[in-house]
Amino acid sequence: MTTAKADSLHRTEVAERVRNFCIIAHIDHGKTTLSDRLLERTRLAGGRDFEDQALDAMDLERERGITIRMHPVTINYVARDGRSYQLNLIDTPGHVDFAYEVSRSLAACEGAILIIDAAQGIEAQTLANYHLALEHDLTIIPVINKIDLPAADPERVMGEVEELLVIEKSDCILASAKNGIGVDDILEAIVSRIPPPAGHADRLRGLVFNAQFDAYRGVVSYVRVVDGRLRAGTRFMSMAHQRVYECTEVGIFSPQMQATEQLDMGSVGYAIANVKSLGDIDVGDTITEANHPAHVPLPGYRKAVPMVYCGLYPNEGAAYDDLRDALEKLKLNDAALVYEPESSVALGFGFRCGFLGLLHMEIVQERLERNYALDLIATSPSVVFRVTKTDGDVQIVDNPSKLPAGNLIRLIEEPYVKATIMTPPDYVGSIMEITQSRRGTLGNMEYLHDGRVILTYEMPLVEVIVDFFDQLKSRTKGYASLDYDMVGYREGDLVKLEILLNGEPVDALSFIVARERAAHRGRILTEKLKELIPRQMFEVPIQAAIGGKIVARETVSAIRKNVLAKCYGGDITRKRKLLEKQKVGKARMKRVGRVDLPQEAFMAVLRLED
Amino acid sequence: MLGIYVHLPFCPYICPYCDFAKWPHRRSAARRYLDALGREVEAAPAAQAASIFLGGGTPNTYEASEIGALVERLRARFAAGDGAEISVEINPELVGAGDLPIYAGAGVNRLSIGVQSFDPAEIRTLGRRHTPAQVAGVVAAARRAGIRSVSLDLIFAVPGQSPASWRASLIAACELGVDHVSAYGLTVEEGTRYARWREREPTAFFNDDREADLYETALEVLEAAGFEQYEISNFAKPGHRSSHNANYWENGEYFGFGVGAASYRDGERSVHTRDLEAYLRAASADEAIPGTSERLEGAALAGEAVMLALRTAQGVSFAAFKDRYGLDFISFYRPILGRLVEDGLLDIGAAGARLTKRGRFVANDVCGAFVTFAP
Repeated sequence: MTTAKADSLHRTEVAERVRNFCIIAHIDHGKTTLSDRLLERTRLAGGRDFEDQALDAMDLERERGITIRMHPVTINYVARDGRSYQLNLIDTPGHVDFAYEVSRSLAACEGAILIIDAAQGIEAQTLANYHLALEHDLTIIPVINKIDLPAADPERVMGEVEELLVIEKSDCILASAKNGIGVDDILEAIVSRIPPPAGHADRLRGLVFNAQFDAYRGVVSYVRVVDGRLRAGTRFMSMAHQRVYECTEVGIFSPQMQATEQLDMGSVGYAIANVKSLGDIDVGDTITEANHPAHVPLPGYRKAVPMVYCGLYPNEGAAYDDLRDALEKLKLNDAALVYEPESSVALGFGFRCGFLGLLHMEIVQERLERNYALDLIATSPSVVFRVTKTDGDVQIVDNPSKLPAGNLIRLIEEPYVKATIMTPPDYVGSIMEITQSRRGTLGNMEYLHDGRVILTYEMPLVEVIVDFFDQLKSRTKGYASLDYDMVGYREGDLVKLEILLNGEPVDALSFIVARERAAHRGRILTEKLKELIPRQMFEVPIQAAIGGKIVARETVSAIRKNVLAKCYGGDITRKRKLLEKQKVGKARMKRVGRVDLPQEAFMAVLRLED
Repeated sequence: MLGIYVHLPFCPYICPYCDFAKWPHRRSAARRYLDALGREVEAAPAAQAASIFLGGGTPNTYEASEIGALVERLRARFAAGDGAEISVEINPELVGAGDLPIYAGAGVNRLSIGVQSFDPAEIRTLGRRHTPAQVAGVVAAARRAGIRSVSLDLIFAVPGQSPASWRASLIAACELGVDHVSAYGLTVEEGTRYARWREREPTAFFNDDREADLYETALEVLEAAGFEQYEISNFAKPGHRSSHNANYWENGEYFGFGVGAASYRDGERSVHTRDLEAYLRAASADEAIPGTSERLEGAALAGEAVMLALRTAQGVSFAAFKDRYGLDFISFYRPILGRLVEDGLLDIGAAGARLTKRGRFVANDVCGAFVTFAP
């Protein structure tokens, strides 16, 4: 830390009775259940209560088995040494889209419980999380969970831990969070193995590791006090945004927010200071005392950078204002979401929205549709391309329709990821096929003791966001696991694939793709669209074009007959209702030119199985 | 103009595609039903009817004398004179030798014969039990009895039907010299045995393309034989259009009697319950028949009228439309007319609008646009 020297004159203190830790795990390995048990054991909350309120507050998150929002919890625990400890459990999001938020949460901890499923063993995500935790210098407590399952093989999994994580077998705690086995050992290990936080008593520095918007209280910052102390009444400054606020309330989560007098060095809690928007204070920020500021902020602040963009359009033009209002409200609570108005020839007025990743995109869409009752059309997702024009100008392109004409482009660069895939050896061949067809280059291939293989690839992000994970799962019968990290931009031979319906280009269906794959993709997409587009009153040609040249064509033939033969013995009402029903089905479609398109057509580009 | 519809729901056997209110014939139930029906008819307001239609079910599961008596009673009750159209639906195999003179004597002047097909295999598939020869016999008997108009019902897109067998059925109908043909595309209704069959074996059924070919054949053969298509499914020799059905399409009023029957009276559409026992109980006790009803207004009322009128060859008359609904057709529907005309589905003339030939094939789409139109 660069700050160590500057602050070395100050006295270093240790908060002996505090432990800050997180739980990291692959999806479904039992993170929520273990959190639940830890709280139960310390009589903080009933099981259901905890699940409902403390961690996975949102349905969406629970449905997907992941946590997106992080809620820390403070637990008072009387250890076997007879002393009482304050254990702060800091939750971490479980998805690569939220890697930055994960890193900030890890930075707020000294230790991590690493949960590994006793039957499934170490997964790609386990490894990625483990390495991330190591980067933050955390003490790891490996927990082999679900040992009561018939398929459990703790011996084998401990072997993997030794081999892959280089942790001694004897450090592993065997547990079944579901049945409460091993929970006491875990609590004791938290106290005995994880070091207490150390810092300076002077000059407040608090790491904002999460921030949520509350309609009544403004922004609630989740803070790890690294140095000094924070109390109600403190005038503090956001070092990233250089703005000063008066702290109106501090407190801890137990698990509901509970006001306290102050937050001491080493502890974790919340701060409220009449901050109006998440844009004013955000994740990774450092807060310090305005009158007695720290010299340098805590390291690691970074503005959230959207990686994936798509257009969101109301299905009914009239809902544009509703969509704008809903985005505004969501943005209050989701600093990573960015949007700006755009218009599409096909879809009218809407917004270009940027997301941390595909999951984030899906979550935002679902929230808009569920919580704001909007009927949306999403265009195919795009990554952010960097286009260098022949005149030397560099243009950022997050929307395929904004790609400059081919003769104006000198080069196009696209974001790449390092993808880590773990798989049983039988599927290595299949994985190589999928990754090769998606322009992946194999970096490393490692055989594990238990026979599994770790493959490391560099791949364009755009190839990962389009259906890659589903393909990987289906081609490996669900056995392979995937994790990825951004590694920067690389030049690519890319072209824009345009789709024409009834002879008219549909901007919302075009996308940027590797030249070598463009014709193939065009063929698949036109075939897919032929299946999805219902027959119309006239024949609809579907064409794929690259630079004006048609590379694929399909035709949806015209409807020939759609008529109710009978009069139903004068039951006109019934007849009318049948027609209304048919018509309602059609009204859910988007009119593009003369063609009625179902919403699925716009997502077809996402599901281009090879 | 007022039409009277009477539903006679009993059948000697149940056809697997039928979705009307119907029950297997039982003598005792049929008698109770006739009594209940009589009470319901007596309870109706006095009115003068221009047409009476006995539909089913299979009306001629009743004895000819019962039908005759019912028709006479209805004619008297609703002042239906000699000019009124009096139709009865019949199954050919149930017609006895002396039946039709009794019908004619009671005033029946139009017969609608449930033929469906002249192909023995298709007749079996449809679950029907007549022979082509019986149909010919009934047509001849109707002529002898002096019944003015004879109509046949035919169904196309029957599983197993071929373009050739359909054409043959159409030709057979024409050769019998009937005055009117109703050619219905098979509609598979939920809850029927056909619906379950289609569930198991969807490929046995026609898709829209193949069905369109059969419809095309019907237009061609029937027009060549001197029939005019005056509605989507109905074809008549000059002077033989069904005025009872025309009244539906003109959005005229009608009283429906019997279980499941529909009425349109004083601007209200209502449908009686399809629960036979509930109907019998209510009608026998002179109580209101349970059922559902609705009253349309404004754009919905006008849209429904357009839906009905567009089924006919003459289509919507702008003057009549303005007169009845107070709306200028062109300016009211302007937002949707352009596309319908552009797609070649609707012909707009100086005095009215009607479906093009193509429009008749996709009438649901055209009519759907009108019934859901809200300015």
